[in-house]
Amino acid sequence: MRFFFFSIWLFLSFQWSVAQTDTTQINLVFTNATRLEVLEKIEEISGYHFYFVEQWLGNDLISGTYQNSSLNTVLQDVFKETIINFFILDNRTIILTRNTIIRDELHPSFYETTTSIPEDTTEITETPSYFYLEEKQDTRPDIETVRIGRERKNIGRRTYTLSGHVKDKTTGKPIQNLAIVVKGGSKGVSTDANGFYEIVLPTGVNILQTKGIGIETLEKRVIMYNNGQLDFNPGESAEQLDEVVVESNRLRNVEKVVTGVVEIDIAEIKTIPLVLGERDILKTAITLPGITNAGEGAAGYNVRGGGTDQNLILLDNAVLYNPAHFFGIFSALNPFTTGAITIYKGSIPAEYGGRLSSVFDITTKDANTQKFSGEASLGPVTSNLVLEVPLVKDKSGIMVGGRTTYSNWILRSLDDESLKNSQASFYDVVAKYNDRINERNNISATAYFSRDAFSITSDSIFSYSNRLLSLKWNHQINEKNSANVSLSNSEYGFGIDFEANSNRDFDLGYRINETELKLNMLKLLGKSHKINYGLSSKLYLVDPGDIEPVGSQSIIEPLSLQREKGLESALFISDNFTVSPKLSFDIGLRYSFYAALGASSQKIYEAGLPKSEGTLVEIREFGNNEIIETYGGPEARISGRYFLTPDFSIKASYNNTLQYIHTLSSNTTVSPTDTWKLSDINIEPQRANQVSLGLFKNFDDNRYELSLESYYKRSKNILDYKVGAQLLLNESIETEVLQGEGKAYGVEFLLKKKEGRLNGWLGYTYSRSFIRLDSEFPEERINNGEYFPANFDKPHDISLVTNYKLTKRFSFSANFVYQTGRPVTFPIGSYFLDGAEYALFSERNKFRIPDFYRLDLSFNVEGNHKIKKFAHSFWNISVYNVLGRNNPFSVFFVTEDGSLQAFKSSIFAIPVPTITYNFKF
Amino acid sequence: MIFTLFGVCIILGGCIEPFSPEIPPSDSLLVVDATLTNELKNHEVFLSRSTQGDNEPKVESNAAVRIVDDNQQQYPFTETDAGTYVSDVMFGAQPNQSYRLLITTADGREYASSPTELPPLTAEITDVYAERTTTDSGLDGMGIFVNSFDPTGNSIYYKYEYEATYKIIAPKWSSSQLVANSDESQTVRVVGRDPDNEERTCYATEKSNTFSLTNTSRVGEDRVSDFNVRFINRDNYIISHRYSLLVKQFVLSRQAFEFYETLQDFSGVESLFSDSQPGFIVGNIFPEDNGEDQVVGIFEVSSVSEKRVFFNYSDFFPGEDLPPFVDDCGQVTFPSGFSPILHDLVKTNRVSYSDEIRNELGALEAYIVVPRVCGDCTVLGSNVIPDFWEE
Repeated sequence: MRFFFFSIWLFLSFQWSVAQTDTTQINLVFTNATRLEVLEKIEEISGYHFYFVEQWLGNDLISGTYQNSSLNTVLQDVFKETIINFFILDNRTIILTRNTIIRDELHPSFYETTTSIPEDTTEITETPSYFYLEEKQDTRPDIETVRIGRERKNIGRRTYTLSGHVKDKTTGKPIQNLAIVVKGGSKGVSTDANGFYEIVLPTGVNILQTKGIGIETLEKRVIMYNNGQLDFNPGESAEQLDEVVVESNRLRNVEKVVTGVVEIDIAEIKTIPLVLGERDILKTAITLPGITNAGEGAAGYNVRGGGTDQNLILLDNAVLYNPAHFFGIFSALNPFTTGAITIYKGSIPAEYGGRLSSVFDITTKDANTQKFSGEASLGPVTSNLVLEVPLVKDKSGIMVGGRTTYSNWILRSLDDESLKNSQASFYDVVAKYNDRINERNNISATAYFSRDAFSITSDSIFSYSNRLLSLKWNHQINEKNSANVSLSNSEYGFGIDFEANSNRDFDLGYRINETELKLNMLKLLGKSHKINYGLSSKLYLVDPGDIEPVGSQSIIEPLSLQREKGLESALFISDNFTVSPKLSFDIGLRYSFYAALGASSQKIYEAGLPKSEGTLVEIREFGNNEIIETYGGPEARISGRYFLTPDFSIKASYNNTLQYIHTLSSNTTVSPTDTWKLSDINIEPQRANQVSLGLFKNFDDNRYELSLESYYKRSKNILDYKVGAQLLLNESIETEVLQGEGKAYGVEFLLKKKEGRLNGWLGYTYSRSFIRLDSEFPEERINNGEYFPANFDKPHDISLVTNYKLTKRFSFSANFVYQTGRPVTFPIGSYFLDGAEYALFSERNKFRIPDFYRLDLSFNVEGNHKIKKFAHSFWNISVYNVLGRNNPFSVFFVTEDGSLQAFKSSIFAIPVPTITYNFKF
Repeated sequence: MIFTLFGVCIILGGCIEPFSPEIPPSDSLLVVDATLTNELKNHEVFLSRSTQGDNEPKVESNAAVRIVDDNQQQYPFTETDAGTYVSDVMFGAQPNQSYRLLITTADGREYASSPTELPPLTAEITDVYAERTTTDSGLDGMGIFVNSFDPTGNSIYYKYEYEATYKIIAPKWSSSQLVANSDESQTVRVVGRDPDNEERTCYATEKSNTFSLTNTSRVGEDRVSDFNVRFINRDNYIISHRYSLLVKQFVLSRQAFEFYETLQDFSGVESLFSDSQPGFIVGNIFPEDNGEDQVVGIFEVSSVSEKRVFFNYSDFFPGEDLPPFVDDCGQVTFPSGFSPILHDLVKTNRVSYSDEIRNELGALEAYIVVPRVCGDCTVLGSNVIPDFWEE
């Protein structure tokens, strides 16, 4: 509105300033007064009010004497020799405008050959006002105006050349392939590999706009007087991000060839209600269709009916085995260092593999190479600080972030004896170094460590940690080819220290370590092929468990399970093939190969019989690095997209995947004692096939995105457990597990509104997931060998995430989630055996815990928008679970005094208010 | 992971609460408790039905029960008490023979166990001993330990049950007792006790309703060492005088061992690592027609070895107070004359005579009585000395 009004009165002022007649007569005398003083005096005596910008008036001293002169005459004199125009709007208001008037002398800086002078610093060259008037709809005062070159009279050139570099505002990296277009015209160029551009523009006013994928759109009003240079520095601005409309992203929903992709930018989720003050990108992910977890406080994600072990969670290419803190109440990712997350739940690109259901590709932000900056938050449970330090300006920088709890301190200050000695704490640190060595080479390195430690009982401490290291080298071979080499290592482990000063004190540990080397090449073949190919190889080392006695009187026998070793390698190639503007394919093929390696003793069981100690035939020894067993197979990753109309597309995909590593967990959720087990002679890799079909439509100038996707998935060799299976420290785990078939299908609906005062999304998923464990032997059969709902089968799932902006600074957010309760195995009765009562359990997963629903609200206050200030602040006041719904997290049964008692537990049964303060500098 | 959950909840403000899930009524299942051992005796089979809610356990009557060996030799059983079936003949399981349990219920459903062999007979309890111990949780008391050894190394899976017998001495026993006079008089009188009806020293016997399991698969030789089968808190009156424990060791098949192990996991004895998958525990008894009705329990064929141990409280707790008696034996005084309350208590045999109060002249004024259990041990046990009892 404001812009519109502004342009109207500019227009009017031009018309009317010529024909103004005013009959007001005034008497006025002033000597060596500034124009400001004169105007103030006129206001005083005439009752008129002036509207103007002080700087326009300057400090020149003027004198004059007027007797019964018209106001018009006086003002004409006052503004003689200035560029100020005045307009008497009514008998109270006089508006000053600044235009026209060409001076004779030029500012010295205009003589330099290259200039880019923003309006603020110039008071010399002015162009005829009709430039403005011609471009009425774009005379927005917030667009920076740049004048290029010095106008020379009598040179009849109609066009001039403008050139410059485009560099990322934060990293200083040149931006390639960025379009620079003249708004309202057909002219446009794109930047080369160095971010350089050159464009020929007509004399006068041009509005230039930058356009690129994932890059802020900048607009500048460029007034061409001569040839010149102009650099653009688009980038991310936290204060503006909500408002920025990245034009080229707008059609991404319908345009992308691959189905089932979810992308979340951390900046988008700033206003989502928080629990315990943590902004959490993974928590946001589960509000999107197709991604769920077992419930509040449950770690692990279930993507499209897959198990919690079927997700490849990558942080800068390194696998993050346990992405949760504190049983999943917090995610282990620092929200300030996390850049974006892409979740592939449908068609997984061929370069990724090793998990059946999904890939969570999480990237850390690059460190700022321009200036020292930081971000911090204070929450009720955690605090977080991130610093970005440029090392070599525009080239390299380092970012260090750390987050920790003060829950230990809270616990220690409690009165309760048993709580006082317990502990619950976590922290995570992340560091990233990025260096643009030259135009063609970039390197980055990320290091990450997280650790959780808490008491289960007063005598034991449970701890787990993730450690990640990744190195990446990006090399641009030539215009058409680039290479990406990455080396990553990650380690996950947990331990239990039990020290009760008893004779059963022990120390238990588990560890998995993996190292991967990956080469990823990108080749552009003509205009229609984008080929991605490469190879990767990963070495796993697993120490599946060891227990050691603690103290001299401990009677615990030391035990160490033999180390498992495996090598998983893959070759991959994919082609993003544009057949026509309407039809595109992404065809990928991956061949993965796994070898279980010695040294190991492998148990061989009688073929065709249940694996048990009774059917053990022999124990076969394998030497170091001797191949025990190999598995492998081709994996197809095919998807296609067809535009039915320019904003309506249909996509389909087929995907098959192989997984050589399995978690052992009899829990529905990820529990800290879950271990990962490699495929070996007795445990085969899991396999899955998925087909999906989706419809994608954007409405109302891409303000609304609508998608409807469906999938059907079959899997094989899904690990499940016999009744009463004991998984930890078990030397013959194959006798406890069963491998069965899985079947999952679902429909996902998502409506998203990306802009406007009210934005957010509504998602609904109908999905089912079943498992069948059948065998000719009763002990290997579950539920009579029929399909039964998987632990995470939750047919209905509704999520509503909304944000309403009251003003630029204040906004309201609300989340609502509803899910069907997950299946459980209930005791349905009891029986007496040998004088004691026992629970009789139902068939597996025959019942469900009550449905889950929750409403969260939050109110966000942005700090003021002053430009010159130390830090940008942000307050978030949230109430989690406003309805106080007692959502059961789990249901369990305990035999107390010989009779069975059912309990349900919930994590947040009451509304949890939180206030968090963030600031950024 | 109840413990971990508990931890979180405590930190975040308690959130575990009991609840009653709505469970639709379902068919009750046949529950079989059948153990055949190598002992030559009349073996027993107990049949019942699973129940829902707080219902009393239901027995399964009028079933036809028999055991068949692989020579087609049949051992029929007859129902003696409701749900209790006893073999018509004495017999014991023989090595290298397999046995099947066949059940036909009153409604005509037929069930059979899979053929089951007697595990090795080579393991023998070498020693059972009692020792004063302190548990992990710091309780002082008596522990009973067992040692066993199988030189052939084949037994491996062990289950222990026990039968405890202990001496009870009524702390306020008196050689006299009260008897009620006529209802009209509402008085009582003192008489001497019947010397043939021992009421001072008794013996009580309890069978274990739990079992302990151990296995030697991770041990170098097939030896059970110092395995604690029972712990009795020093506050338990049952060890006040002399205590005896008969330890029964059953060598099980692996399948039976796993069955009991799972059962034990589900019985609420939580350990940090027993995060086991709940579900129906499959035994070895199935419907003959491969129907879908499941049978709870297992037909266990096991070889038994047993040994008895005795100990006296005074040997392990010399000079220490006896554990508190089941009753604190508070004394109540009633006038010796008309006393309807005392008359009624004596008539219904609820008090024992302890003492009497006489005035300076020696005239009876009042009786002092104690709860019956304090003066009459037959409330707690039998006054017959068991055959095996050794002093």
